[in-house]
Amino acid sequence: MRVTANSDTCAVSSLCVYRVPGVFDQDEDGLVLVLDESPAEALHEEIRRAARGCPTKSIRVVEESAAEGAVELARGDAG
Amino acid sequence: MSTQTPPRYPFAWTPPMQVPEALRTVHKTSAIEVTLPSGDVATLVTRYKDVRALFADKRLSRNIARPDCARISKDNDLFMDPNIDPDPPEHTRVRSLVTKAFTARRIEALRPYVQQVADQLLDEMAAGPQPVELNEALAFPLPIMVICKLLGVPPEDRDQFRAYVDGFLSVTKLAPEEVGKCRQNLWKYLGDLIDSKRENPGDDLVSELIRVRDDEDDSRLNEHELHFWTQGLLIAGYVTTASQIGTGTAVLLHHPEFVRAIQADWSLVPSTVEELLRTQIMGSSVGTMRYAIDDIPLSDGSVIKKGTSVLLSEEGANMDPEVFDCPFELDIRRKENHHMTFGAGLHYCVGAALARMELQVATESLLRRFPDIRLAAPAEELPRALGGFMEGFTEIPVEW
Ligand code: SF4
Repeated sequence: MRVTANSDTCAVSSLCVYRVPGVFDQDEDGLVLVLDESPAEALHEEIRRAARGCPTKSIRVVEESAAEGAVELARGDAG
Repeated sequence: MSTQTPPRYPFAWTPPMQVPEALRTVHKTSAIEVTLPSGDVATLVTRYKDVRALFADKRLSRNIARPDCARISKDNDLFMDPNIDPDPPEHTRVRSLVTKAFTARRIEALRPYVQQVADQLLDEMAAGPQPVELNEALAFPLPIMVICKLLGVPPEDRDQFRAYVDGFLSVTKLAPEEVGKCRQNLWKYLGDLIDSKRENPGDDLVSELIRVRDDEDDSRLNEHELHFWTQGLLIAGYVTTASQIGTGTAVLLHHPEFVRAIQADWSLVPSTVEELLRTQIMGSSVGTMRYAIDDIPLSDGSVIKKGTSVLLSEEGANMDPEVFDCPFELDIRRKENHHMTFGAGLHYCVGAALARMELQVATESLLRRFPDIRLAAPAEELPRALGGFMEGFTEIPVEW
């Protein structure tokens, strides 16, 4: 899994930081920072949740399938 | 065109612990027309998918100070200020000044202070006679003390501005002259506060906003905006959280089995707080008033016409059966709980992290301190506040 975030659209909600503190952080202005772009498998489910829960859909998760490197985008929309 | 008057909104929570029938059936279509307390008609968007998308949609303006926009109340121009532009890019500028104060790290740094205030209030509660009225004992003083600290308001002023704010938020409760007086008093109070901060700046948000206002060129934050946003923070930081602490706790105490479960496993506190936020948002979304500046199609194929006044139903979204399993049931272990109570998109509530922290501290401290705490009146008889902006419970007697 690869995690990136768009700080241009981030609304400084802190939701991702609370959900997965080791992976997400905020800069001085509160904008999202990704601390760990390739997080351990145990965190994947929480990260997907964080992406779905981000109010501005600023978190992007790219799932890398082991089989043939196919990628599937999971950008947060819970609905 | 239908000749029937659209249903009244906010939907009435009677009986008080039960989800209104209107809310249970509201998802049949993407939007319905509703009649506001003013008598004006607005379109209420009901489904999660649409509400979430529309919170981020630029075709909906937050500038509701337009002559043809529906009013919430005839007697009170709630949140309308023709001198303020609440849309980007103006809004973004102010927002980015304020959000800094509400990051996860800063909020966590406040946690010990919040705990200390909560403990002190619970001490006082324990020392007095029973039953105790929870709003007065804990739900209101806690967020007031916290927002005072954050904004640098002297805590001894809190009763005074609380009265002004209550008047400010009246929808039908007070006469228009009374509302006007409260608004004037609040504005004047904030003017004095700003003046005194200008002379003696502190380590608080108002001083910070003044510094930005005074140091930078005037394109940053003018005097009126400084006033307006200080007022907004003061009001938003106190009433909403207070109402949620009281009302959420009342709902929780109505379910002793959940209280026992939390006391057996304190890690359930955050998900409990989220679930109470999802299900008990004080009854309504009148604060989400928007104005359509273009036609907007909805998920069921219907279209919101340009020029329509729109409300985004957070409570509708929060109980959308498409998104939430058993949406009308309280499930304190609910995992996927991206409710809309704090909005979505760029306008997502800046105070959400602070509110969550206060709610967590209040809930846990109360249940730890008083393991046998319970409602001292039948839940179905607790009065709800009508005619105000918040429709939570006004009296919550508890004993232990
Ligand atoms: S959840 Fe989204 S909006 Fe909130 S801080 Fe993280 S990236 Fe920003």
